[in-house]
Amino acid sequence: MNLNSYRFFRLLTNASVYVVLTFFAVLMLFPFFYMLSTSFKLPADTFRYPPRMLPRDPVSSAVPGFDEPLELYYVEYQGERREFALARSNIKVGTYAAPEAPGIVYERRLSEVSPTGGAMNQKTVLFNGEQEKLFDVEVDGQVVPMVLLSQTTVGEFIDPQNPEVKVTQNVRLSEPVENINWHPENYSEVIALRGLDRALTNTILVTILVVVGQLVTSVVGGYAFARLQFPGRNFIFVFYLGTVMIPFVMLIVPLYQLMVLIGWSDRLAALIVPWIFTAYGTFLMRQHFITFPKEIEEAALIDGASRFQILRTILLPASVPALATQATFTFLYAWNSFVWPLIIINVGNEKNHVLTLALNVLRGRASDTPNLILAGAAIAILPPLIVFILGQRFFVESVASSGVKG
Amino acid sequence: MTVMPDRSAHPTAFILRVFMVWRGLFALLALVAVLGLWIVPGLGASPWQKIVLSMALCIAALFSLLGLFDIAKRLHRGRTISLILDYLAFVACLVIVLNTGGVFTGIDALADTFGRGILYLGIIVAGYLLGSLSDRYSHRPATERWLGSVSKWIMIAGAVLFVWKIDAVNGLLFFLRNLLQPAGWIAVTGIILFGLSLWGMWHETTASRLQVKTHHEAMLNGWLFLSPNLIGFLIFFAGPLLLSFFFSFTDSDAFNPPNWVGFENYAKIFNIRFTGLASPDQLAREVVDTKIYDEVGRLRLGNGGILFAAADPFFWLALRNTLTFALFTVPLSVLPALILANILNSKLPGMKFFRAVYFIPSIAAIVGIALVWQWLYNATIGYINYFITQGVEFLNTTFQAGLVDPKIQWVSDERTALMSVIIIAAWQTMGFNTVLFLAGLQNIPPELYEAATVDGAGAWARFWNITIPMLAPSTFYVVSTTTIQAMQVFEQVFILMNPAEGPNNSTITLVLYLYRKGFINFQQGYASAIAWVLFIVIFGLTLIQFQRQRRSSIYES
Repeated sequence: MNLNSYRFFRLLTNASVYVVLTFFAVLMLFPFFYMLSTSFKLPADTFRYPPRMLPRDPVSSAVPGFDEPLELYYVEYQGERREFALARSNIKVGTYAAPEAPGIVYERRLSEVSPTGGAMNQKTVLFNGEQEKLFDVEVDGQVVPMVLLSQTTVGEFIDPQNPEVKVTQNVRLSEPVENINWHPENYSEVIALRGLDRALTNTILVTILVVVGQLVTSVVGGYAFARLQFPGRNFIFVFYLGTVMIPFVMLIVPLYQLMVLIGWSDRLAALIVPWIFTAYGTFLMRQHFITFPKEIEEAALIDGASRFQILRTILLPASVPALATQATFTFLYAWNSFVWPLIIINVGNEKNHVLTLALNVLRGRASDTPNLILAGAAIAILPPLIVFILGQRFFVESVASSGVKG
Repeated sequence: MTVMPDRSAHPTAFILRVFMVWRGLFALLALVAVLGLWIVPGLGASPWQKIVLSMALCIAALFSLLGLFDIAKRLHRGRTISLILDYLAFVACLVIVLNTGGVFTGIDALADTFGRGILYLGIIVAGYLLGSLSDRYSHRPATERWLGSVSKWIMIAGAVLFVWKIDAVNGLLFFLRNLLQPAGWIAVTGIILFGLSLWGMWHETTASRLQVKTHHEAMLNGWLFLSPNLIGFLIFFAGPLLLSFFFSFTDSDAFNPPNWVGFENYAKIFNIRFTGLASPDQLAREVVDTKIYDEVGRLRLGNGGILFAAADPFFWLALRNTLTFALFTVPLSVLPALILANILNSKLPGMKFFRAVYFIPSIAAIVGIALVWQWLYNATIGYINYFITQGVEFLNTTFQAGLVDPKIQWVSDERTALMSVIIIAAWQTMGFNTVLFLAGLQNIPPELYEAATVDGAGAWARFWNITIPMLAPSTFYVVSTTTIQAMQVFEQVFILMNPAEGPNNSTITLVLYLYRKGFINFQQGYASAIAWVLFIVIFGLTLIQFQRQRRSSIYES
């Protein structure tokens, strides 16, 4: 292989690598783009097929002689594609034919024909083996009794500049004139209508308290495991480690009963207090503190510093990345948790709903407005995403390292 | 003989004597509390709670007496016992104070006003960020000091405004007013007494009098530091875990005292029958007692077959669905992750960007994700069917393939419902697994690859003979965590499906069934039994993977 063909080969592999990576990146991001774009749409726009990414609004135009602006549609007029305004819809049109000559059909509005012989005793005729009603249809100035073959609904479209020019065609099959328009008011609407503001407040409050509480208990606990000799330490540590793999659902029944016993069911305290004490977080902090050089601490001890002072003034300032990592983990866990709130907070008690619960309620109530549902979903998904983007670097690194060590 | 007067002459001797009286008083009070527990009517505690409480109090009294004698003998153990007892009592009083003060239930009220304060929390954070910015100006001390003080004042202002906005003063008044109840002021007195005792015992002069060594201090410090975590862990994790085991042998319904039923719950779960069938389509009621058993599934073999019937068919359906889910989700999220990690491990530019992008799905709330996918799966207007239609049309027009657009009813068709959940789960965990694999790959020493290349190994051989074996620990971790997660699938199903069991129970999973039994039907004893079976299954699966990993990790060490 000569150098040029080698270079070409390298270029080709690199290009294909980027193609594969981009494909997966689009796959990963597409649902989020879909969520965001839909959350800015109008309800009617979300139900359109084929689906479109960008939110669009129907365009209306003021037409002389009409109080309200009329929606514009594309219509075929004298071989041209023109933007016409929909002046009237729901106009019923029938296809009529004389019983003797069913091949020749005439289209007339239902309002233009009258029953043959009057509405009270309308005449009928045997047509295709059935008795069909007869209608008086005017053809070239002559009235001919005909039968109604079929019936559709059309709209009357007029030229906005020249309202005399009219075209009738099926409204549903006509393509509306649209422009791209975003509807951020969907967010305020979903917040106001479905009480998402309260849920958002609750989620922030619960998340902050869980994160702070967990950091405190796992920092002091992790320090005890890493640095202090006390009887039972190794036993308790092994016990802690063993419980890390126990699935959380094992606990929901007894924890629920415990909460009922102490009167915390349906209370926000039940979403906070049990989750402050974590074996996994303590384990992570212990792993972090154990890497710390012992000598500094020993020097401080000789100088008469207490253990607490050492922890606060020496170890903690040097542990900001580890603390941030654990805070991010806990933040995600607390923010996204659903099963426990679902069990402990009543569906009816909307005052104490967190975001995930509110979304669950919203899903049932607003099933006809996907734009609002997905605006709600975006409210729940975006804050963790922002936290992730801010702390992206060491968050991903720490997930990686937990895998290697674990 | 001269020792005694010496001791009493020491200034701490008086304090130690006070402590001895205190320990005696402590024991007495504990015993009085036990008596009161059984005599005073209308405490509203169940016999079980009374028994547990009395036992705890009796043990405390016993230890307190032991501490009394140890202090009398000037043993350091007396100090340890004294400190531990007083600490536990102190914590108990603190919890009682917080509880009667309405702090725990007051969180609900705090949520009312908290929304108004969030903005000011933001100000505090902004102040902190400004302060951390000051480190960059270490070469200009004046600027650094100025920034530091500005950030401090911003933070203080934010905190004051926050406290004012959330109406903390009223909250404090409410707290203090609640403390006027008997339970409140008794507990406050307790806090003061136990706190004083702790302070006195912890003090150096007392400690030196009781011959306390450095390692005793370390021991007490260790317990002290671990205690918040350990107490909470015992109350909210270990205790409930034991309770769960106990409940699985009862008919607990969450509100009435549970009755012991022995192995009845487990017996019902495992009450299954395999029966031969005369013809593949023979009705179940002809071969098993349908008053007890229901058909779960059947195996058709030629002219006959085997019928699988169970007393609780839903459990076995749930187990089948959960295992199917795991069986597909694990490879679907692990194999692409392995490939992507190998690509990302190349030294091309932009890899960190892709790594971050792949990670995004795993940090989003599953509830939100499931809602988004619900609309993507929509059979008439959803994007997935749209893409399939486009693909089919493209194939038909370019290759005359003559394919028929399947128009899949993703979530409402029994055959695809579980598959839709699998796709979401695989999509969501793939990026997380990629990052884990990537970390494992970066730990493989590059010399191995260099040596292999020199020996003439191709890319495929290197991947197969170096990457795969060296990645075994990561693979074990990834596969086992993904399996453990997959076995607990609940949220996706709960949100995506309506009803959550899916069409014809095709997406009922173990955790979903547990939820239904425990919190819709309130058969919490039975739900606990399901939880333990689930745990055994998960534990077994992890153990199998662990064994396989141990056997295959010959390249380690």
